[in-house]
Amino acid sequence: MQEQSSITVSSMTERIHSARKRRPINFSWSAYLFLLPTFLAIGTFSYFPAIRALVGAFTTWNGFTPPVWVGLSNFVQALQDPTLRQAAVHIFWWALIGIPIGLVPPFIAAELIFHLRSSTLQYLYRSAFVVSMVVPGVVSLLIWQFIYSPTGLLNVLFKDLGFPGLRHAWLANPHLALGSLILMGFPWVGAFALLIYYAGLNAIPQDIFDAAAVDGCEGIRRIWAIDFRLVLPQFKLLLVLSVLGVSQNLLTPLLMTDGGPGTATVTPGLYMFQAAINNDQYGYSMAIAFLLFVVVMTLTVVNMKYFQTND
Amino acid sequence: MSKTISNRWWIHAVLLVLLGLTLYPMVFMVLNAFRTGLATDITPFGLPLHPIWQNFSIALGEILPAFKQSFIIVGVSVAGILTCALLSAFAFAELEFPGKTVLFYLVFGLLLIPGFLALIPLFLEIRNLGLMNSVWGLILPYVAGGQAFGIFIFRTFIKSLPDELFAAARVDGAHNGVIFWRIVVPLSWPIVMTVAVLNIVGLWGDYILPSLVLAAGHQTVAVAITSLTPPPFASSANSFNEQLAAFTLSSVPIAVLFMFLMRFFVRGVTNGALKM
Repeated sequence: MQEQSSITVSSMTERIHSARKRRPINFSWSAYLFLLPTFLAIGTFSYFPAIRALVGAFTTWNGFTPPVWVGLSNFVQALQDPTLRQAAVHIFWWALIGIPIGLVPPFIAAELIFHLRSSTLQYLYRSAFVVSMVVPGVVSLLIWQFIYSPTGLLNVLFKDLGFPGLRHAWLANPHLALGSLILMGFPWVGAFALLIYYAGLNAIPQDIFDAAAVDGCEGIRRIWAIDFRLVLPQFKLLLVLSVLGVSQNLLTPLLMTDGGPGTATVTPGLYMFQAAINNDQYGYSMAIAFLLFVVVMTLTVVNMKYFQTND
Repeated sequence: MSKTISNRWWIHAVLLVLLGLTLYPMVFMVLNAFRTGLATDITPFGLPLHPIWQNFSIALGEILPAFKQSFIIVGVSVAGILTCALLSAFAFAELEFPGKTVLFYLVFGLLLIPGFLALIPLFLEIRNLGLMNSVWGLILPYVAGGQAFGIFIFRTFIKSLPDELFAAARVDGAHNGVIFWRIVVPLSWPIVMTVAVLNIVGLWGDYILPSLVLAAGHQTVAVAITSLTPPPFASSANSFNEQLAAFTLSSVPIAVLFMFLMRFFVRGVTNGALKM
């Protein structure tokens, strides 16, 4: 008894001692107080709904009566849902065409700006491209709605150029609506991508360009062999962000066409939204979100693995 | 000197064409916000030689309440994001405590959860909490949504501050609260501005969540401007131009912000914090 307690005491003092030894000067219990507001916020409004979404995918729920556990039946329904399949095809094309359109023009613009000798001019061009960011995304979409409308800018342009036959109701024609949405803004130089590329180019050490010049590697060849290779980390970041962005594309079809005409422009994100908001099928909606989440995560991981770069 | 391609005219030509193709929707919007419907039909890109200011007064009448609403929501949200994120970033960067790694990964993991996944349950949660049609129904989720990015950027910044600064303060007996308030806050304000600008731009244009949470008539600017669309038989010949005036007005706050704080935005995007 005596022995045992003395062991306990000695082991405790030892523990306290070693803990004191290990505890750095900045050890602090009050750290939790600093973290408290953040964790209250993200616990309630980030993790709780996210977990709810993952669990809710296995229930049917109309939003009012308690959810009923239905196992995998939402997923079975989703995989057999022709509209969802159609939406997946749409988003595939959107990614295939839309992502290069989103990533290439900004690279060209960044490369050209980077090659200007005067840093004042570089600054002016960069600022001019950034100006496009002051317009809220919603406003851009509404302006494009007008550009595509039957009496809109695009049709006026075709008429004035002498091709009245090319005029169409771009968003109302089921064969053209999806393509119109994908090509919207082409060839738009996204300011965000431009800045990222430009920063990447600026970070390339000058000696590399000097060495290339000595070896006679200039112009387009240098851009391909050096500039593009060395902004790969930035390219990878933009690619991952684009894949994430396109695959959860919801706002564009929602505002421009509401997925129509018919289901001609429906995307998985929009279909998820409509299932919940229009049809009160919350469980089914969360199952679609779950599937989309799995696909997006897989794509992101593949993206990051495949484009492994050494910083 | 070895930027090998010199200032050739074609660089400017290509850049100006790209610039034109990038900005023409915006130019169209601003020009025609000052014109009549008839003028827009005849020359879509004509200059407003006789500006119709009335378009703006009508537009402003329509969306003034939305402006007030947006200013409150964005202002309080961004203040909340910055305060919470800076406090947490300080703890993650400078303090030692049990479970630090796990907690950090819990925050960092949020960057991997795409927004759409939690959208519908978040909406239901806001409804269940009785926050429908309340600004708090947006502010609280926005504060949560801004944490991961803010903490990530702030933490990197605070870690880059010299350790001697903190060590000296501790030797002088300063508590963590004092260190935070006297050292971290004053030194961090440039990076705080950067994160603020990035968040303001994002929240100002947010559409989906406000459209679900707030009722018509109490909407934010980004949502209110979408419902100005006139009925097919518009009451006024200039109704389209009035809409464009409203669109232009909705861009003004961000334009003003950029005028003063563009460098913070550009630095935020380009300082290497965003890289993989």
